[in-house]
Amino acid sequence: MPESPHDQSNPKSSDEPGADAGFFQTYRQEIGFIAIFVVILAGGFTLISWTPVNDHVIEPFTGGIAHASGIALNLIGQGIDKNGTVLRNERFAVNIRNGCNGVETMIIFLAAVLAFPAPWKARLVGLAFGILAIQAVNLLRVVALFLTGAYAPDFFDSSHTVVWQTIVILSGVLLWVFWANRFASPRPATATE
Amino acid sequence: MTTPRPWALRFAQRVMLWLIPVAVLWIAITPFYNRFLTQSAENLVRLTERPSVTRLQIKDTHYFVITRSDLPASQGFLDSVRVTDTHFPLLMLGAFFLAVPGIPWRRRLENLGWAVLIAIFFHIFSLFLWVKFIYATQLGDWSLENYGPLARNVWGLSKHLADLPFKLALPILLWAAFYFRELTGRPAPARTPRGKKKRRS
Repeated sequence: MPESPHDQSNPKSSDEPGADAGFFQTYRQEIGFIAIFVVILAGGFTLISWTPVNDHVIEPFTGGIAHASGIALNLIGQGIDKNGTVLRNERFAVNIRNGCNGVETMIIFLAAVLAFPAPWKARLVGLAFGILAIQAVNLLRVVALFLTGAYAPDFFDSSHTVVWQTIVILSGVLLWVFWANRFASPRPATATE
Repeated sequence: MTTPRPWALRFAQRVMLWLIPVAVLWIAITPFYNRFLTQSAENLVRLTERPSVTRLQIKDTHYFVITRSDLPASQGFLDSVRVTDTHFPLLMLGAFFLAVPGIPWRRRLENLGWAVLIAIFFHIFSLFLWVKFIYATQLGDWSLENYGPLARNVWGLSKHLADLPFKLALPILLWAAFYFRELTGRPAPARTPRGKKKRRS
């Protein structure tokens, strides 16, 4: 991968895998990434499933998503009535619940960014921009799903569970790939033996 | 003179292109794959119960329904699960693995094969957790009689973790496991030819 800046700056670090190195030595960065990713992911989802966190953080956040979605739908003339997390007009109604608020994708993105070896400043910048971008895509998803339910209800189920879930996760993953490829921190070169 | 596009941008463009053929293939195999997963999940559930009473039957292509031979047939099926929702992240998995730039076809397909194999085991286990979750928490008095508070929480949390975070994160996890070096720009590990042992000096 000659395009990677880190290839050019540090092409032969001591970290270059030798054939004699053991499996864990050769793949320690991969193993470290996966282990930290899995711990943060499982911890994050367990935390948001805990009733006090769900009631005091996730539910109000989901209410905020419903509010923003209602504003966006009214801007395109849908005449939305909002009641809690329920959005309704004369054609269709949706209840925005956990799973529709983008929090899953945010936690996956957070886990991937924190598990990746990069400077903390780069991580914080990545998280700030990434979370905003994921919420923008999620807002688009809620609006599109409402319009699908209102005007093409036969496609609502597939759109809800497969198409838009894939799009939101895909956007989070691609954001992470862009960030990681840009901020991959070169391992410091050590003296050669 | 043109400057080469960044690796991540090339990858993203190729992911978008690969999504289309992968989606066509996924739609084509879904009815068969759902049947395979339903049968495999049934076998796994029956392995964990004495006597083996669970039957999972495919319904409307995308669902399976759960019945138990020790409960009255008049009760009908106990619950249903949408099998297709368990494996739609295969779309991302396929596109990610096929889209990596600068990797020979053979290696991309080899890695994809391993990743799909791991994903298949995950899907079977995930459906197994779905059935256990339904038994432990969704059947009212029967659940309360047969599962204690700890078991209900364990099956509930396990199903929740498998069904949301790990199902959705599996493609990125597997992709990162196979292509972390391409992403970070580190050199690939030296491969020893098969059948040849390296001599230590």
